[in-house]
Amino acid sequence: MSEYDLMVRRQRKWMLYLLAIFVVGVGFTSYTRIFYGLLLGTTVSFYNLWLLQHKTKAFGKAVAEQGKARGGLGTFSRLAAAVLAVLIALRFEETFHIIAVVIGIVTSYFVLALDGIVQFITHSKKKQNIPNDN
Amino acid sequence: MAALAAAIAIGLAALGAGIGNGMIVSKTVEGIARQPELRGPLQGTMFIGVALVEAIPIIAAVIAFMAIFM
Repeated sequence: MSEYDLMVRRQRKWMLYLLAIFVVGVGFTSYTRIFYGLLLGTTVSFYNLWLLQHKTKAFGKAVAEQGKARGGLGTFSRLAAAVLAVLIALRFEETFHIIAVVIGIVTSYFVLALDGIVQFITHSKKKQNIPNDN
Repeated sequence: MAALAAAIAIGLAALGAGIGNGMIVSKTVEGIARQPELRGPLQGTMFIGVALVEAIPIIAAVIAFMAIFM
């Protein structure tokens, strides 16, 4: 499995953990409106993350095999998905907390950044532990 | 005024994201075309770069729609 596939799997795992925590929050706390908002935002964020992973892989494959880029990276689809989540939250304001939806939408970016930082620290520690031959 | 604010927010964010994404993707294409065996790491770097660049226009679009409809 390539480095990219491992990264994708890690990020999906963290997003699923977060979604599970929010489902537990909806079921067992009294802040259901906030957790419904977080759940809606995180679901859209997860879709955005999946779309970007899928499109990036297809893009890299097309460039490596054909030597030129085919198709886009789905930027407009991701913008539209985020806007749709906000419109749903504004339409059903009694069910979804709008700020929670916005926080949910940016969850994948936090996951991505934290995963990158953790991997960077882990790799630099591994490099330090390798004995130098010179 | 809310529509004007939304238009400026989305327009400027899209402009910045377009320039940023264009630079990231063009350099990645150059790199993969030069060394196809480095496709994995270059893809990973491009993925993180594009995602972080796109976070701002997504938030801008969300704020713009909130400005219109709230």
